[in-house]
Amino acid sequence: MMQQPIIVMNTNQQRESGRKAQMSNIVAGKTVADIIRTCLGPQAMLKMLLDPMGGIVLTNDGNAILRECEVAHPAAKSMIELARTQDEEVGDGTTSVIILAGELLSMAAPFLERNIHPIVIISAYKKALEDALATIDRIAKPVDVTNRAEMLALIKSTLGTKFISRWSDLMCGMALDAVRTVAQDLGGNKVEVDIKRYARIEKVPGGEIETSCVLDGVMINKDVTHPKMRRNITNPRIVLLDCPLEYKKGESQTNIEISKEADWNRILEIEEEQIKLLCDRIAAVKPDLVFTEKGVSDLAQHYLLKNNITTIRRVRKTDNNRIARATGATIVNRVEDLKESDVGTRCGEFKVEKIGDEYFTFLVGCKDPKACTILLRGPSKDVLNEIDRNLQDAMAVARNVYFAPRLCPGGGATEMAVAVALTENAKSIEGVAAWPYRAVADALEVIPRTLVQNCGGNAIKTLTTLRAKHAAGTPGASSFGIDGITGNVVDMQKYGIWEPAAVKVQTLKTALESACLLLRVDDIVSGLSKKETRAPQQQQAPPEDMGQEM
Amino acid sequence: MAPKEQQTALTIGGERTSGQDIRHQNVLAAMSVANIVKTSLGPVGLDKMLVDDIGDVTISNDGATILRLLEVEHPAAKVLVELAQQQDKEVGDGTTSVVIVAAELLKRANELVKNRIHPTTIITGYRLAVKEACKYLSESLATKVTDLGRDCLVNVAKTSMASKIINTDDDFFATMVVDAMQAVKNVNARGEVKYPVKAVNILKAHGKSGKESQFIRGYALNCTVASQAMPTVIQNAKIACLDINLMKARMHLGVHVIVDDPTKLEAIRQRESDITAERIEKILAAGANVILTTKGIDDMCLKYFVERGAMAVRRVAKDDMKRIAKATGATLLSTLANLEGEETFEPAYLGYAESVAQERVSDDECIIIRGTKAQSSASLILRGANDYMLDEMERSLHDSLCVVKRTLESGTVVPGGGAVEAALSMYLENFATTLASREQLAIAEFAQALLVIPKQLAVNAAKDSTELVAKLCAYHAVAQQAGASDAKKALKAMGLDLIKGETRDNVKAGVLEPAMSKIKSLKAATEAAISILRIDDMIKLMPAQQEGEDPHAGLH
Repeated sequence: MMQQPIIVMNTNQQRESGRKAQMSNIVAGKTVADIIRTCLGPQAMLKMLLDPMGGIVLTNDGNAILRECEVAHPAAKSMIELARTQDEEVGDGTTSVIILAGELLSMAAPFLERNIHPIVIISAYKKALEDALATIDRIAKPVDVTNRAEMLALIKSTLGTKFISRWSDLMCGMALDAVRTVAQDLGGNKVEVDIKRYARIEKVPGGEIETSCVLDGVMINKDVTHPKMRRNITNPRIVLLDCPLEYKKGESQTNIEISKEADWNRILEIEEEQIKLLCDRIAAVKPDLVFTEKGVSDLAQHYLLKNNITTIRRVRKTDNNRIARATGATIVNRVEDLKESDVGTRCGEFKVEKIGDEYFTFLVGCKDPKACTILLRGPSKDVLNEIDRNLQDAMAVARNVYFAPRLCPGGGATEMAVAVALTENAKSIEGVAAWPYRAVADALEVIPRTLVQNCGGNAIKTLTTLRAKHAAGTPGASSFGIDGITGNVVDMQKYGIWEPAAVKVQTLKTALESACLLLRVDDIVSGLSKKETRAPQQQQAPPEDMGQEM
Repeated sequence: MAPKEQQTALTIGGERTSGQDIRHQNVLAAMSVANIVKTSLGPVGLDKMLVDDIGDVTISNDGATILRLLEVEHPAAKVLVELAQQQDKEVGDGTTSVVIVAAELLKRANELVKNRIHPTTIITGYRLAVKEACKYLSESLATKVTDLGRDCLVNVAKTSMASKIINTDDDFFATMVVDAMQAVKNVNARGEVKYPVKAVNILKAHGKSGKESQFIRGYALNCTVASQAMPTVIQNAKIACLDINLMKARMHLGVHVIVDDPTKLEAIRQRESDITAERIEKILAAGANVILTTKGIDDMCLKYFVERGAMAVRRVAKDDMKRIAKATGATLLSTLANLEGEETFEPAYLGYAESVAQERVSDDECIIIRGTKAQSSASLILRGANDYMLDEMERSLHDSLCVVKRTLESGTVVPGGGAVEAALSMYLENFATTLASREQLAIAEFAQALLVIPKQLAVNAAKDSTELVAKLCAYHAVAQQAGASDAKKALKAMGLDLIKGETRDNVKAGVLEPAMSKIKSLKAATEAAISILRIDDMIKLMPAQQEGEDPHAGLH
């Protein structure tokens, strides 16, 4: 009995601890980074992903790729979350953040092997982060958000790495226009740029990519409810509803028992009268156009048609909101409450057009629209989806610049400048912390290195040239970076590749903090079972014990 | 063979372990639980990564969290897990150390039992030791907070977060925690000063970096305004807190209205929408410009708010609502009906705040109520690289908040970094020699067991624990000598500096812990150890066999 094993913990767990756990985290981080390593820079390649449902994703957006990857290792999961954070916070730089975090982790491995305590490594990393941010602040230059040419050049550098770089002029223009449209000055130095809600990208397969455009208004994928209604109205008066134009049933449950024939007729009449009343009330404000989020009955269509009112039904709530913002109308729920002030009049032209096989409603020529639709055309759905993702990135970049109008040189120049500054600082750090501190500098070089590698250049040669340029410390040296197409060292000042400082700063912060999080772990317990799954095992246990006793 | 026939030794179906075996088993189980958490102790402790069966990841340094997520099965080990939970609830911090001390006490008790000392003697010894230790701790070691001021609070917060992920930014977070705790200070009806930890609202939003976490003097709500057409900023807000569905009225189940005239039917429907419209009118007429409700608001009602330029927020969590009502001075209404059966809304029900604004945080929005009138409130918006990190940050901050609360309430602090444990150990050893009974041995072991904390701290930092602990004990022995000079007495604050691997004065270095937390954790650890020590027999019942399974069981 003395030797009987004591089961303290649930037995079906896997536990890794100490060095093994640390190394497995580092390897996992590195593996995730390796997946998307080739997606960095203008010579990036796309990845084709087949999701479990059989759909295809064709992209080089770091977040989109990793979202589809199913990973089992907890550390890898944590890495993938980073891409999501980056995407939601700044919208760009998802690939670089993963590559950088992976590199920072693998840089820590030799230190762990040399028995440097993770806490020491982490505090050195955090110190390096602070200094790096200071360096970025030093080399960043302000930008004028109203200067179209400058803004275009900026967005161009984001799109340069993407699939749509061939149409970059067009796309940059579109992204900038869209952001400018939805930007709203709230006063008190506050700018609201709500791309998610007010700049909608509508993808219509077919046609040529060149015909894509930003509308000065809204487009929705709907047709008028009745073929005889007007399909072309200039300066329409618009009413927005979110109630059905049908006979309304009450909330309370109703049972009707009819004893007299006259009552039956009366009930039917009431239904008709109600609809007529509804339509009359709408007609009273003399609209040309009625949008509703719900249905429109045939009878209502008839009355509205008689009043020469065009109706569009089953509009999405989000679309309705955009129309409201673009045309100045208020969404009304009860037609009884309809007032003159609720009618939108800012729209220039209403038209229904047939594109491909479907009808689309356009509300264009709006005066000062605060919402817009971006119409994308292209050869296939997959391509359109990728363009959509790219455009989202571009808009996010433009938005960030609106919030924080500061720029950093692109093409790995910022990373190199930070790396050089950190190496310099490392000399003045006392104790073991100097090595991990310097490692951050080495890790940062992964960005220019990957850029060179992806375009087939000689990484060592180019990188040493670049490092020498930066280390020389001449004025303007910090803007030298890698030309991602030829793999040569160029001056970003002349080459015109700039990136928002917000993206760079966020990339560094996210990468370093997550690396620190993973380095702190020294024990991984996986496969914890919940109580439900434990029950059957307990039932299995008694027979085994009995076997021993026998 | 049917299982029932086998259990002849025991009338009940089950298994029985007793005597030294069970004591050995229990101690082993307790040790293995302590082994799991012991590497996360102290400023250089590391984190654990826990993955559950669905693949959700938790990264934590908090002893209670780690043990909760590990499914511990052994009954004695479970006692320790519960001990950690209890410490978490009661004090909020020190969950790891309490488990380690309890396990060490058990281990040493087991050795004594092997030397033929009866467990009850050990228990009496332990009880006596903990009583003496607590007395000495509060009389000689503790320092009044009032002597140390705000810096002391910041230091206490810093000490508690030293072992956590936010360690590197401790200046920033410690100030935040202290500000938050002081903001929620209130005096209750009996004149007691309370610092409710729950009143500090913690929101998490991934993105940016830990250092960009914000402390807001106000209440942050994880909701958005109900309609995009509503204003997103309202100054001088008059807030109505409702627990009412602002939707078309619907008759309650089982209520029937019988009408003869078909036209009346329409009137009923008309009335349905009017009832709510009138309610809203009453609320707006009372001057409310921010309406918060725990229930829904339907599209029809939104328009009234939009037209009047009021902000309406639906589906606010009830807990949040209660706190908002308290902070703004509003009355949380679950109905508008008054005693006369009329529906009214008095302006007195409204709460006031300087501003209510919807702000963008990361890719999301939240509503922030600033400058609440009745009571100041505090919210922390945490930012960080990813959700795992945010979760851990929240746990760490919660611990720190609890510690600050305890410090403010109890008003005394003790030096951390193993100083208290070493001092108590020396004191108890001296005390033990004054006793001429068998308890002497138990108390001496208790004294030795306390040294496990400084030892483990040094081991985690990869320092020479034997040498450091010996040095530490020497200092404390000198400090406790009778008739020691003041300079020597000051040595009682000596603790470990784990980064440099030296001993130092931890009061000066600002490594402080609330005295109350130490006392509670000592007591709790001893109690837990005693309760396990008292066990000399374990009977494990078979899970009840169901009738239907019997034929299968017979096959074995």
